[in-house]
Amino acid sequence: MTKKHRQQSLSAQLANLRMDVDSSGAVDSSDASLDETLNQQRIKRSSRVRSIWWSGIASIVSVILVLVALTLGYNVLGASSASGSVTIGLQLAPTNLDIRNTSGTALDQLLIGNIYESLLTRTTDNTVSAGIAQSWDVSDDRLTYTFHLAENVTFSNGDALDAHDVVWSINTMMKEELQGSTQIEGFESVEAPDAHTVVLKLVAPYSQLLWNLSGRAGIVLDKDARYDAKTQAVGSGPYELSKYEPGFYATLSARDNYWGTHKAQTKTVTVRYYPEPQAALNALTSGDAQVIAPISSTLSKAIEHDSRFIVRAGEDTDKYVLAFNNASGPLTNKSIRQAIRYAIDNEAIIASRGGTDAALGGPIPSLDPGYEDLTHVYPTDISKARSLMREQGYTQEKPLSLSLTYANTYPAEIGQQLVSQLAKIGIRLTVHRVEFATWLSTVYKNRDFDISLVDHNESHDFFQWANPQYYYGYDNKRVQSLYSQAMQASTDKQRDELLAQAARIVSEDAPADWLFNYRVMTTWDRNVTGFPVNLNQTWMPLWEVRVR
Amino acid sequence: MMQTAGVKQTMQAKQTVQAKQTVQMNQRNIIKTILSRIALFVVMLWIVSLVIFFALRILPGDVAAIIAGTNSSVERYRSIRTQLGLDRPLIEQYGSWLWDIVRGNLGTSVITGQAMGERLTVRAAVTFPLIIMSMIITLAMGIPTAVWSVTSQHAWVRTSLRVMSQILGAIPALWAGLLLVMIFGKGSGFIGILPTQGFPAQPLSSVSTFLTACASLILPAVSVGIITAAQVMRYTRSALLDGENANHIAWSMTAGMTYAQAVRTTGLRLALPQIISVAGVTFASMITGVLTVETLFNIPGIATILLSDMSERDLPAVQTELLLLAAFFLLVGLVIDMLQRLIDPRLRAQQAHTNQ
Repeated sequence: MTKKHRQQSLSAQLANLRMDVDSSGAVDSSDASLDETLNQQRIKRSSRVRSIWWSGIASIVSVILVLVALTLGYNVLGASSASGSVTIGLQLAPTNLDIRNTSGTALDQLLIGNIYESLLTRTTDNTVSAGIAQSWDVSDDRLTYTFHLAENVTFSNGDALDAHDVVWSINTMMKEELQGSTQIEGFESVEAPDAHTVVLKLVAPYSQLLWNLSGRAGIVLDKDARYDAKTQAVGSGPYELSKYEPGFYATLSARDNYWGTHKAQTKTVTVRYYPEPQAALNALTSGDAQVIAPISSTLSKAIEHDSRFIVRAGEDTDKYVLAFNNASGPLTNKSIRQAIRYAIDNEAIIASRGGTDAALGGPIPSLDPGYEDLTHVYPTDISKARSLMREQGYTQEKPLSLSLTYANTYPAEIGQQLVSQLAKIGIRLTVHRVEFATWLSTVYKNRDFDISLVDHNESHDFFQWANPQYYYGYDNKRVQSLYSQAMQASTDKQRDELLAQAARIVSEDAPADWLFNYRVMTTWDRNVTGFPVNLNQTWMPLWEVRVR
Repeated sequence: MMQTAGVKQTMQAKQTVQAKQTVQMNQRNIIKTILSRIALFVVMLWIVSLVIFFALRILPGDVAAIIAGTNSSVERYRSIRTQLGLDRPLIEQYGSWLWDIVRGNLGTSVITGQAMGERLTVRAAVTFPLIIMSMIITLAMGIPTAVWSVTSQHAWVRTSLRVMSQILGAIPALWAGLLLVMIFGKGSGFIGILPTQGFPAQPLSSVSTFLTACASLILPAVSVGIITAAQVMRYTRSALLDGENANHIAWSMTAGMTYAQAVRTTGLRLALPQIISVAGVTFASMITGVLTVETLFNIPGIATILLSDMSERDLPAVQTELLLLAAFFLLVGLVIDMLQRLIDPRLRAQQAHTNQ
């Protein structure tokens, strides 16, 4: 028998064997030609086997080669940031651009002073200065405000801005209760006697009006423009919006025909959002972004000694408010609230965050009217806290159970620190870190909480303590009357004194603990100038920003 | 010898007739299979839409509260709810959503005001290149190493490849990404050559932006790719060993192949259906699985909008996104199935058999 015959018979046997093994009888048609194909394949096999082996190696090698080629190509030809442009890295993105309907200071930060302008504007130390209104008169009874508008003001679409736009903006806002409408208390009417004069009338004096008109309440929109406010913006500011991808970036281009003194110094400013702090730092060090705000103090350590960058902490109005439920539950008991305030070691919390934040003993931060240092009202005093708790019948052995609910945008460490600090005085704290939407629903709307934590970053927001309907449930008639007196005060000095007095009472009542005044750390490339360091999370005018 | 040859001839004749019948049957079966699969697809999607819609309504909080924020009155909140139609009965909301989807209208995102179709296209144009790139890395690395880990003559190579696949398969993508940034990150790495975050706005506008776009995807794709490659390698390896247990390798060796040759040809071919299903599932799950790297590298992808829409309670957007994802998963399943049928004659035969 030849070799070929032997092999044929082996194949046939194999086929038979296989049929036996496969008891289901599912014989494939390919089995029938097994012999022929085997014979043909045998000739090609050695080369095919080798080709499969080589294709494995080739696939690895070719993928690596392609990656290397792309890398080389990128390094030789890749896009670098164009000159005359600056990229700013922020953390919290606005959900959309509709500043009249959507809440959130990320909108104010991006839009006010850059794309939209308000009747008035603000300085870096949080006081009011001239904006679209170049000057203003206040009547003796402080009920009538007359604003004299700048001339030749135009919107980015070319329309002229005059008093009728101002009147329309304020009237629609008040009528439809849009964002900002709560900031004109005692509003009676607004009128335009001529194209450059606006008269605003109140039913009662309101000392915060001018400051509020420098923010959302005073934004002037084009009454004739029709655009989708969620994705587009037409304003009178130094920049116009040229590109926007929600949650990722907004590109601002300098307007050539800008009317005022705040003319943009840089042609293109891109605002990028980096929810992941590490990505923001990477963007800075790789030169993809020139400014990062905020940067956490732990991350800023990485570039502290890097001579390319400057790191600064700014003054801000961010108050980390550990609010107690003053309306129901165990914390209606003032002694327990006081005990908590004595037990919390604010300095330790600040130190663990890198030591840049400022201690804050009351509801008013240093940049707001009526500030005074209230950190001495409840110094850290564990033994005093313990005795207060003991009087109420709680000890470490027999602790009081409380829950703390806060949004997961704030660090987990704060919750852990509070748990261990309060455990010492006989409070067993359970922490619920939830989504902001859940916080809004359970705490803010349904008032279903013992303790809550929020960074209230708005400026001039003392009204929260004078409103018993607010989620704190804090109801003190004296504070309410002092606040309304302050709002009707005839001079700033008088207003500040009244507010300070009210703030002191609030702090003593312990409706909350103000953990700290968050100071935002900003870092920027040495070649960049003009980026605001103070208040830049709520008010970020970019017209002065430029690259050397 | 004569006897065996005779058996062989009758067998061949019988099977030619059978084969003709099978071809006709197969064609009918394929049409039948496809139609039933499409019907199943639609029914599944409908069930999924019900689950998605009502499960999402359990989440606390709503988009109106997010829009109104902490400085608006209760009346304002209510009027936003009415404006958005959130106060309508759930069944009515579900009905109008489903009707829109059936008509091909994906709707508008409540919170961003963008049309969903446009929104998802923009994001998919980033996510799909990313996952395709990851997938190429996965397959190019995973399968050859799996073969190598079985066929290598050196025990230490086999062991170390196996151990490596265990380790690489277990590391989190975030960690791999951070490590890669430390090594290759432009501006911060030891060999700073690759971008660490971002993605150009118009990747196709010029050669340089295209290269930048590709380069921006390398680190994210590699950090996902090496992990999934290790997983695919493990699956492929065990599929190859399964083939060995079923004696197929032994048969091939009796036909004159060396062990390594048998694994590379017979083994790999037999393992192919399993590899395809693993690869398909890996591909489908990558679309949301790349979330960590999308965040770490700040890439505007699909997973990121899903997360942000969810946290802002933009439920109309979330439900459409989830439904499309579910459709994508089902579709990938369908494609896997068809491919397997195409590649593996055993499956076709099985089906023909069960149909008889």
